[in-house]
Amino acid sequence: MKNKKFQKILDAILIPVLAILSGLVLMGVLIAITGKPVWESYGVLFSKAFGCEKASNCAIITTLERATPIMLTGLSAVVAFRSGLFSIGQEGQYLMASVVAGWLGYSIHLPNGVHQIVILLACMAVGAAYGFIPGVLKVKLGVNELLSTIVLNSIATLFIEYMVQFPMRADVSTTAHSPIIDVTAQLPTFMAGSKWGVGFVIAVIAVIAVYIYLWRTKSGYEQRMAGQSKRFALYGGVPSDKAAIRAMIISGALAGLAGAVEVMGVHRRIMTGFSTGLGFDGVTAAILGQTHPFGVFIVSILFAGLKLGAQLGLQLKLGIPRELGGTIIGFIILFVAASKFYEGNIDRIRAWFKKPDKQKAKGGGD
Amino acid sequence: MALALEMKGITKYFSSTDVQANDNVNLTVEAGEVLALVGENGAGKTTLMNILYGLIKPDSGEIIINGEEVQIGHPDDAIKHGIGMVHQHFKLVPSFTVAQNIILGMEPNKAGFLSPKEENKVVKDLADKFNLPVDPKAQIRDLPVGMQQRVEILKVLLREAKILILDEPTAVLTPQEVKELMEVVRDLAKMGYSVIFITHKLIEVMEVADRVSVMRAGKNVGSKKVSDTNIPDLARMMVGREVLLRVKKDTIQRGKPVFEAKDVSVSDVHGLAAISHVSFDVHEGEIVGLAGVSGNGQTELVEVISGMRPLDGGKVFLNDQDITQANVRDRRNAGVAHIPEDRMEVGLNLQTNLDENLIISRYNQSEFSKFGFLLSKSIHRFAETVVNSFSISAAKPGEDISMLSGGNLQKVVVGRELSGNPSFIIANQPTRGLDVGSIEFVHKTLIEERDRGAGVLLVSVELEEIMALADRILVLFRGQIQGELEAKTATEEEVGILMAGGKLSDLVSKQPESGKESK
Repeated sequence: MKNKKFQKILDAILIPVLAILSGLVLMGVLIAITGKPVWESYGVLFSKAFGCEKASNCAIITTLERATPIMLTGLSAVVAFRSGLFSIGQEGQYLMASVVAGWLGYSIHLPNGVHQIVILLACMAVGAAYGFIPGVLKVKLGVNELLSTIVLNSIATLFIEYMVQFPMRADVSTTAHSPIIDVTAQLPTFMAGSKWGVGFVIAVIAVIAVYIYLWRTKSGYEQRMAGQSKRFALYGGVPSDKAAIRAMIISGALAGLAGAVEVMGVHRRIMTGFSTGLGFDGVTAAILGQTHPFGVFIVSILFAGLKLGAQLGLQLKLGIPRELGGTIIGFIILFVAASKFYEGNIDRIRAWFKKPDKQKAKGGGD
Repeated sequence: MALALEMKGITKYFSSTDVQANDNVNLTVEAGEVLALVGENGAGKTTLMNILYGLIKPDSGEIIINGEEVQIGHPDDAIKHGIGMVHQHFKLVPSFTVAQNIILGMEPNKAGFLSPKEENKVVKDLADKFNLPVDPKAQIRDLPVGMQQRVEILKVLLREAKILILDEPTAVLTPQEVKELMEVVRDLAKMGYSVIFITHKLIEVMEVADRVSVMRAGKNVGSKKVSDTNIPDLARMMVGREVLLRVKKDTIQRGKPVFEAKDVSVSDVHGLAAISHVSFDVHEGEIVGLAGVSGNGQTELVEVISGMRPLDGGKVFLNDQDITQANVRDRRNAGVAHIPEDRMEVGLNLQTNLDENLIISRYNQSEFSKFGFLLSKSIHRFAETVVNSFSISAAKPGEDISMLSGGNLQKVVVGRELSGNPSFIIANQPTRGLDVGSIEFVHKTLIEERDRGAGVLLVSVELEEIMALADRILVLFRGQIQGELEAKTATEEEVGILMAGGKLSDLVSKQPESGKESK
């Protein structure tokens, strides 16, 4: 029984792992073409992503900090995907919540502890509301959620830019940004000099909560059944429409939480160009993580690490453009999409390994 | 006669599922012969044929065509060697015409331009040559299933196949279409073509085949001349034990009505009337057989009764309670069980495990969930109970079901639906696509439920099934009840004439003339 479960997990992670390895190999090829040292670049990439040069300055700490919003938007995508909704509205929900976090951070004044919780809840509510729109459009009018979330993302991108440029603008500096939020609105960090803090804890709790929700609760069961087979859900009497709207609300709330954590824990204000595609990183993390919360946990750390390693290691140390980090992630996604390529070969290798086994077993029997 | 095809020692092991699909299988087909290939679901028939057609590579074994060993690694190779396959699910383009479908990929062209005229002529000549009339200009989507199958056969013949593989060709056909297909197959054999006819309906084997090969658990357990064997014999070979082809049924006293439909009207997905003004009832301890050719409103009627589709007019009652407005969950809680016609898409979720499949209609009950959380332990216990009481040996609690054979999947559906003593059971085509062993199980279980006092509505296009199980027979024709018969006194002929839209009085008046009319 245990063994079988282990085998199942192994099967699930095999393709992503192979995809990641292929992506890294390809990175080596690209670096070799540019004439930079290949082995050194691997070393630099990893030490700047996951290494620890000095006890006070660990790269892994920064990686975990950067992984936090990806983790939350990734979970948001998992909840939507698991109910059969291809919502990519995480970016929009994340941005709308960021505006709210930035605004409530300086416009209201509450005691430490209360202020943060109020903002977190408000951001989740805003994200949920922004997720509810495509959900209800889908259920009541049959509007494709992919299209509606793309449109809502654009609206959110323009909305945050407007808010930063005009109503919330702090001063007339060259780059627009909102005022720094109150100290009472900031999330505590674990160590001086780093922004890794309570946000990460919130993300980890969310990982576990999403897992429990999807596989241990009635609502999660309804959502998954409706997502996997609409006809089966209808036949069994599962209220699919309710489940879909609920999924979009939870998905939105999680993306909203990502916005809150990013503003309250890292930037402490919002500025022009705030949208850097963290919502879309969540979508890819969810896909690569096999739409499983634990998968998202691992993949978001890996993504953040690759980006950081490319930026601090490859670019600063070796003069290789940091965009290579994003390129590798792109390759990895491509390899996952082309997973059929591995499946055939895996089967062949497995058969090759299994055959001698079988013959042995037969021989023993006789 | 000369051997057209010989398959020797074909072995195939699927490592991903740990299944020995073919184990040293030998098979021969002569030119001008119809070979029936029978076996239970999962016996390895389809794997063997997919190997022959180049869709799967065998681990070992030889394929010899016309005395020459050939390598078939791709369907193109198979076609080159004169092997053609008509799949169970047709591979036609619905928006193309008959001619376009038949000629697809080998269009005669003039300097790069298509020539519909020439295409139509080629297809017409082909159809004439084989005496398989089709309208080359008709669109596939407008054609009945039997005609679509004819197009598939012509497609294969145009590619000069000498060996035709028909994969369960009768599964989707009406009785009339089956008859026509049988004639086509016999004609092809007469012209020297070899036909491999995959089926699990033994009666068809006796009708159409010259020889039969039986597969069980990946092995060819015997090849016989049809004239040297009979149905019980073949059934025994297929299942590996004695099989009751017709289950025993005692007469019992029926009780009060458990289900009632009053003046029900329903429209189909296109908004056209599928069922108009239908009224009937089902009593306790009674199996009501709803006969009819497929597509006469059965699907819509069953969906309305189960609550999956809203009705346009009329009322439905369960134990004298009006359930017209009740949703699926309320109806199920009130004691309705539903064995749907499509177990893969509707009756089960193949992407999840057995436990989660078994609670779909009862996860809300306090036994299985509390405070919004699922009680996985009692769900697991329930799965064990179902597996034991319906002896679904292949399914294991907590494990995936996607690898189970059709028969075992149906056992899961039946086990789930009949646990918890439902008062009214809708069984829509409960044995479609099943092998004799599984059919026996389903039939026995339905009769046990009836004896317990449940009312059963059995919807089936198999006349035999209706005759074997039903206490009362209703015939559905074009969305209306064409007639009602007592099963004890009804003859197949009577049901048949009602299924075709006739009246019982026609039968009486026509009988004296029947001698004249038959050609």
